[in-house]
Amino acid sequence: MIFGREKLSVAERSRYAIGFVILIVFFCLAGLVRLQVFEHKKLYEMSQKNRIRVQPILPKRGLIYDREGRIIVYNRPSYTVSVIPVEEVKYRTLPQLSTLIGFDTTRIRSRIKANTVSRYQPAAIKRDVPFETIAVLEEQYNRFPGVSYQMESVRHYSERLGIEAFTGYVGEISEAELKASGAEDLRPGNVVGKRGLERQYDRLLRGLEGTALLEVSASGQIIGEYKEELPKQPTPGADLWLTIDIDLQKACVAAMDTFCCGGVIAMDPRNGEVLAMVSFPSYDPNIFSGVIPESLWQAISTDSTHPLLNRPLRGLYPPASPAKLVTLGAGLEEGLVTAHTTFKPCVGGYQFGNRFFRCWKAGGHGKTQAIESLERSCDVYYYQLGVELGIDKLSYYYGLSGFGSRVGIDLPGEYKGLNPNIAYYDSTFGKGRWSRGLVLNLAIGQGELLVNLLQTAQFYCGVVNGGKVYRPHLVKTIYYPDKAPETITPELSFKLPFSERTLSILKEGIRLVVEGEEGTARHLKNTNYSIGGKTGTAENPHGENHSWFIGVAPLESPEIVVAAIIENSGHGSEIAAPMVGKIIEAFMKKRSKINDFILADESENKGIDD
Amino acid sequence: MILNYKELDWQLITATLLLSLIGVAMIMSAQHYADSTFKQTYFVRQLIWLAIALAVFAAVIHFPFRLYDFSSYLLYGLALLLLVLVFFVGSSRMGSFRWLSVGPMNFAPSDLAKLALIFVLARYFAYTKLPPASKRRMAFSAVIMMLPVMLILKQPDLGTSMVFPVILFAMWYWSGLSPFYLLLILSPLVSIIAASHWIAWAIYLGLLFVFLFVYRPGLIFGILIFTANLATGSIMPLMWNRLAEYQKLRILTFLDPGTDPRGAGYQIIQSKIAIGSGGIWGKGFLEGSQARLDFLPERHTDFVFSVLGEEFGLWGAIIVIGLFAFIFIKAIRIAAKCRSKFASNIVIGATTLLLFQFLVNVGMTLGFMPVTGLPLPFMSYGGTSLVLAWSLIGLIVAAGYRWQEY
Repeated sequence: MIFGREKLSVAERSRYAIGFVILIVFFCLAGLVRLQVFEHKKLYEMSQKNRIRVQPILPKRGLIYDREGRIIVYNRPSYTVSVIPVEEVKYRTLPQLSTLIGFDTTRIRSRIKANTVSRYQPAAIKRDVPFETIAVLEEQYNRFPGVSYQMESVRHYSERLGIEAFTGYVGEISEAELKASGAEDLRPGNVVGKRGLERQYDRLLRGLEGTALLEVSASGQIIGEYKEELPKQPTPGADLWLTIDIDLQKACVAAMDTFCCGGVIAMDPRNGEVLAMVSFPSYDPNIFSGVIPESLWQAISTDSTHPLLNRPLRGLYPPASPAKLVTLGAGLEEGLVTAHTTFKPCVGGYQFGNRFFRCWKAGGHGKTQAIESLERSCDVYYYQLGVELGIDKLSYYYGLSGFGSRVGIDLPGEYKGLNPNIAYYDSTFGKGRWSRGLVLNLAIGQGELLVNLLQTAQFYCGVVNGGKVYRPHLVKTIYYPDKAPETITPELSFKLPFSERTLSILKEGIRLVVEGEEGTARHLKNTNYSIGGKTGTAENPHGENHSWFIGVAPLESPEIVVAAIIENSGHGSEIAAPMVGKIIEAFMKKRSKINDFILADESENKGIDD
Repeated sequence: MILNYKELDWQLITATLLLSLIGVAMIMSAQHYADSTFKQTYFVRQLIWLAIALAVFAAVIHFPFRLYDFSSYLLYGLALLLLVLVFFVGSSRMGSFRWLSVGPMNFAPSDLAKLALIFVLARYFAYTKLPPASKRRMAFSAVIMMLPVMLILKQPDLGTSMVFPVILFAMWYWSGLSPFYLLLILSPLVSIIAASHWIAWAIYLGLLFVFLFVYRPGLIFGILIFTANLATGSIMPLMWNRLAEYQKLRILTFLDPGTDPRGAGYQIIQSKIAIGSGGIWGKGFLEGSQARLDFLPERHTDFVFSVLGEEFGLWGAIIVIGLFAFIFIKAIRIAAKCRSKFASNIVIGATTLLLFQFLVNVGMTLGFMPVTGLPLPFMSYGGTSLVLAWSLIGLIVAAGYRWQEY
């Protein structure tokens, strides 16, 4: 018995094994007979009549909305002219095509080479061609054998909103990217995210291609769909709802309009949501969607103001006075000072060794208490505090405050900056061969210290949020095509190394910057709401100083932190502070409008209830 | 060692050589109208590889079996080492690490691992005193099989790793495990299918329970089998269904990046058109239009059988299938008459490997198996595959020649 539990004899085993082989052979023969005898006629006709072409059905790329559901990135329909490589070889239509689309033949050839998936599938040559070109193609079909066109959508970014700072843009995948991605659903000619969110969330946004099988005649004309196999529908990409508030983004762009270069970022300190992010000068990301003319690319990439540099993410600056909060916090934590500790009075500078370190105020600040030192931003006070702390301690606190390491925002390519420590100086200048005076510069946020705008904004968020720093992020909700939407929960990134007490002194310090009589940003004081902040003037050896301001409002229960830097513009109190003031004003105005609306709504409801 | 060449199984050798030559001719035809740069290179290269394969075959039949017996664990260790090495120095293709480059040649350690598995299992089953259904014996041999499989799955290469459990099953069967146990071990696979509807699954599980209760394969074994059925039937579809369509696809392509993710059966359709259009008499040598115009992808490697079907029709395909069947049946007869258990096991392992690749490849071209990229033994273009297939035939011929030895 074959299915008994007893061991089979060798003869039985080999008999069954041979039986199994014969079974397989008959299986194969049956398959052969089916195809070659019963289906021969049909399949033979198919092989004669030619042929089946695989046509990708492109998925809809996910859309991007702001936090209130206003669309900021969408797709518009366009036409792409393609060539089927094998037919181009046969009919040699390149000269005609060249005059039609305005590419020279070598460029078309290199495009064919780059975008060929199979010799029988259309390779995209020119995207976003005008409708007139398609009309010519349609009318004079016979002149262009092997040339076809497809409807494709082209990415469109809302203009003049400065959104390219976070959206980035899309473009045709490069050979190197294709190799590096390892993604099996990508092929030459696909459009993928190149920068920003488009790149970070590319996998979600791009969706998954479908395929249609088309029957094609010998001359390359599409006869119709191949009926034996249903087309595989594409999966559309996921939509993103951002944390960005377009109203605030507009306010940022308007406030920065008069300046050449710089960046601004607005965040909600309670959860790390980025409310606005702008890099100036900006560029139009739409130019990358179609075919970017060589001259335009040249102009952008060689522009001396570097429009392609994303300042909030990759611009590295000395933090200057805004970093004094770290120095003061360190002093308070280490017990070196209390709120009312004073040092030697400021006489417009401080003699350390054989060097005189100057304060920004030539006349000097006189005697200053710790609590007043931020208000006046007295450098001399911080020189002395810095000397007491030493480089090791200072660098330790800078590090724990998030400077010199990436904040981990959901954007690619963030620079981490530099938080120098003794080991760094030893390796740069040689062991012990550097001046002890370096610590004085570090204490006022100058010297080798380099930070980005995100780190600075994040630090201030922590200071006003009880020391808790939430990871800055841009995506609020992801709407998937085929499953429930996913709302991103704020992630606690780290906690500042400061006690409640220290934090309250720092908070009082930034209040005085605006509300104190000697505050460096006292012009921002107003009666409607309270602002805190810190001005900064970063020394720039290559030109005019960079102007910093970080503002917080409303100070009692902060809802927004705005950090801005304006390059080569002068003092923080004169340039960046009023600019941030305008942004905060816009935010507070909208907030009160919404509150009024809600209040009105509530009273109305009450009326009905009564 | 000097052999009495007249005593060699010349029928077997002739059949194999015929298949190889038909393969060379098909490769020539497949590339006949290709771009002039490629024109004859595949064909010439395959001829060179055939010469190398024959040399390897000659070497294999001259070594005594004791040598294979002695070196089996060594070979197994070497194969594992190379499988690990491939992650560090291997060359990646389509995101999967499968190849080691030795000079101008690419060598897949998984091919060596197949051979090593056959050797180690043959040796273990030949000498173990444990009865076929012993748990220790089955567990040990399963571990021997799983080690290379896990490394190959990590490459990842699902198609190749599938052959390893098949070899183990065949060897279990051949070394005396009754089909009753084999069916029970395979039953979780049935459970996955039965679980598509709960009534079917309930009936299936009930039957399984009654079956286990009546036949009593042992308490622990029985419980194990039943839980395995329960687990695979309930968890697998659940897990699978919770995934979105694109995630499923992603998992499939992750497991085997070699498969065509946008597939939609394009290759299969083209292969079926090629074979079907050949009809009974075929279009004639070098006349296959499907193969000639490159509608048929991979036509010199994975789809060489489709070229044959188109150009030589049903009669050509029957001859080739007949030659394969002749080789397999001959090999099983040799295995049955070998006095040495080790040699007998080796022959069965080698035959299983060839038979599996034959079935999967031909089944793929006929459209009832998925596209896995396994070559057709002796006929597909590719050096390592050809050399491996001929070494297997070498082992079979050698075992047949020395069948009286213990």
